[in-house]
Amino acid sequence: MDFDLGAEATALRARLRALVSAHFDEGFLGAFTDDPADLAATQAFCRLLAAEGLLTLAWPVDHGGGGGSLWDQTVVREEMWAHHEPRGAQYMGLNWVGPALMAYGTDEQKARHLPPIAAGEVIWCQGFSEPEAGSDLASLRTRAEPVGDPSGADGWRISGQKIWTSYAGMAQWCILAARVGGGERHEGITMFLVPMDSPGIEVRPIRSMLGPHHLNEVFFDDVPAGPEAVLGELGGGWSVIKTALAHERVGIARYARCERLLSALGAELAPHWDDLPAPLHAAWARALVQVRVARLLAYRTVHAQETGGVPDVIASAARIAVTQCDQSVAEVLFSAVEHRALEAKAEAPVHGAVEDHWRYAQAATVASGTIEVQRMIVAKALLRGEPV
Amino acid sequence: MDPVLPDEAVELAEAAGKAFAALGGVDLARRAEADAGVRRAEVVPVLAALGVDDLDPRRDPVSLAAAAALCEAAGRVALPHPLAADLVRDDDGRPTAAVPAEVPRVDHADLIDGWRVGTLDGTAGGIATAAARGLGTRLGPFVGDLTMEGDGRPPLVDLLLHQVLVAWTVLGTLDRAVALTVEHVSGRVQFGKPIAAFQAVQFQLADAAVAVAGLRELAGFTLWRLDQAGEQSRADVLALRLHALETARAVLRTGQQLHGAAGVCDEYDVSVLVRMVQPALRLPAGVDRTAAELAEAIAADGFVGLFDHGGAAIGAAR
Ligand SMILES: Cc1cc2nc3c(=O)[nH]c(=O)nc-3n(C[C@H](O)[C@H](O)[C@H](O)COP(=O)(O)OP(=O)(O)OC[C@H]3O[C@@H](n4cnc5c(N)ncnc54)[C@H](O)[C@@H]3O)c2cc1C
Repeated sequence: MDFDLGAEATALRARLRALVSAHFDEGFLGAFTDDPADLAATQAFCRLLAAEGLLTLAWPVDHGGGGGSLWDQTVVREEMWAHHEPRGAQYMGLNWVGPALMAYGTDEQKARHLPPIAAGEVIWCQGFSEPEAGSDLASLRTRAEPVGDPSGADGWRISGQKIWTSYAGMAQWCILAARVGGGERHEGITMFLVPMDSPGIEVRPIRSMLGPHHLNEVFFDDVPAGPEAVLGELGGGWSVIKTALAHERVGIARYARCERLLSALGAELAPHWDDLPAPLHAAWARALVQVRVARLLAYRTVHAQETGGVPDVIASAARIAVTQCDQSVAEVLFSAVEHRALEAKAEAPVHGAVEDHWRYAQAATVASGTIEVQRMIVAKALLRGEPV
Repeated sequence: MDPVLPDEAVELAEAAGKAFAALGGVDLARRAEADAGVRRAEVVPVLAALGVDDLDPRRDPVSLAAAAALCEAAGRVALPHPLAADLVRDDDGRPTAAVPAEVPRVDHADLIDGWRVGTLDGTAGGIATAAARGLGTRLGPFVGDLTMEGDGRPPLVDLLLHQVLVAWTVLGTLDRAVALTVEHVSGRVQFGKPIAAFQAVQFQLADAAVAVAGLRELAGFTLWRLDQAGEQSRADVLALRLHALETARAVLRTGQQLHGAAGVCDEYDVSVLVRMVQPALRLPAGVDRTAAELAEAIAADGFVGLFDHGGAAIGAAR
């Protein structure tokens, strides 16, 4: 047994931390703020990472990536999330749109889309969920009708509505799930690559406690798309979604931000540590244990990936622990800052990161598949006799 | 033994519920967030019409219950007003509020000019005036710091009363959150049926409802204890506060979770309730500080039940 990620990983971590601290001040809370300078800073950082060969570290060498190990990828995921994702909206393109293009794209699609993603020049959004299709994604209704030739050779017209689409207002491209032909549920679903400036697309921001840009509605009204917009097989969209989700297996390294905030706030509170209530000291200790367990369950998933494929149940188990950890740490941090809990932004504890974390954590057990859905995956595996 | 609120209190709460609904219910909080002037222009006159200015919860048990029920009604819509404090006025008509030891921070600090504030341990406090500007944050849009102006800390029993009324306000918020969630899961169809049909949803709802029922009984009991024991009920009041905070966390989490992504959106009432109740949950003290204070209060004063706990008798043996 060995729980050390190794010297390379340690060096990579140090290098990433140095880059982040050189390019962002401590008050940076991510790209999704009211200040466009934050998005711009992340865009510049992506170009820098690209130049350093770090942006596509995880991608295979054949596709211009760094061919980094799964553990390198883990370190990148941890360090980026811990520091409020300084890659901003890029991470979706890097994490799964790129890999999905590699797996399903035509040569033209790869040539067109992979280089801008690898250079950190384009933002993608993910158009899956619809008002009536949340946990039950397969019930989605957005339709693509062929124009002229029924095969789609002459192109498509897409109509429907997407919801909860993260950073749709910032994105240049959307990877869109739409229904083609008469298939039921999973059968008719097809993936389209659609420029967000196409005529007929309207983005409406949704106001939420998460802050601006995170959630949007996207309306598609007879949006034209060429035959080259289809990713993969007609009606084969569900397997693209599955692959996409497989690349999101380990999910966001939420535990890493939790641990960084516990560390940073711990340092801020150190002069008054003994004045804090005793139950908080105990809650703090428990939070550190919870963070460690969440990290280890995430590592178990990476290890399974490394040694031949991740059963859904292993990934879901990690997700359950990680998202619950996010929410309980949010409460511990809020309890620790006491009457300052409701302060926000630069003057607040840890430059507003504690307050920001609390608000964002409220959606942790819903985003990218609710905790109930994850629990069903775990329970079904157990009932099939698979180990959890 | 009779755990039911008196009719007068129930009737006042019903009238208040109607009046708050006429102002838009939770929409009132949304409007106040956009324009803080709404509080003075719309809420203050409605409260006056409900007779708040003449209601003194210290007068008799019925008035006490009426004040509690009124606060519950306010909590159901996240009424943008410091009602609990405003119901505990000093001789000069100033509202009374329990505040953190570090800073006299209260919700809606700017709405009322003069305040009477103190810490829950009864050691500090005085007269304070409103600061001009609040935090203006998503979780504490109306929270602000007062400026201490003079001596004269409020009687401990008034601070305890304030905290009991805050707990009743939280109770209203939680009760409403459960009702909103029942409504949502009954209407929301996924996998071909209302999600309320899934037992995993039903169990969560059931736990939330039982938690609120428990908080309601404790809130009633504590009201009675406060009336009976006055400032000797400090441990009881802290116990109510602790339980309100812990119940709020669990119930609001469930409410948001069962709304899916809608649970964090401003358009949905549950999300507004979650944000607007935060000042009550964090001020004057959060869950761990409250637990520590409760443990000390029990050790010092005991805790009523079927057997002895803490207090002088047990303390002597330690
Ligand atoms: C921050 C954030 C970002 C997001 N970004 C995107 C994005 O970029 N693109 C995109 O396409 N989508 C995005 N989503 C949407 C997300 O995938 C959905 O919110 C999620 O799948 C849940 O769907 P829903 O919100 O409709 O909830 P619902 O499916 O309506 O669920 C409501 C509640 O019912 C429960 N429930 C549902 N079915 C069952 C069942 N069978 N048994 C037990 N309980 C059940 C759920 O677990 C939940 O608690 C985002 C969501 C969030 C919160």
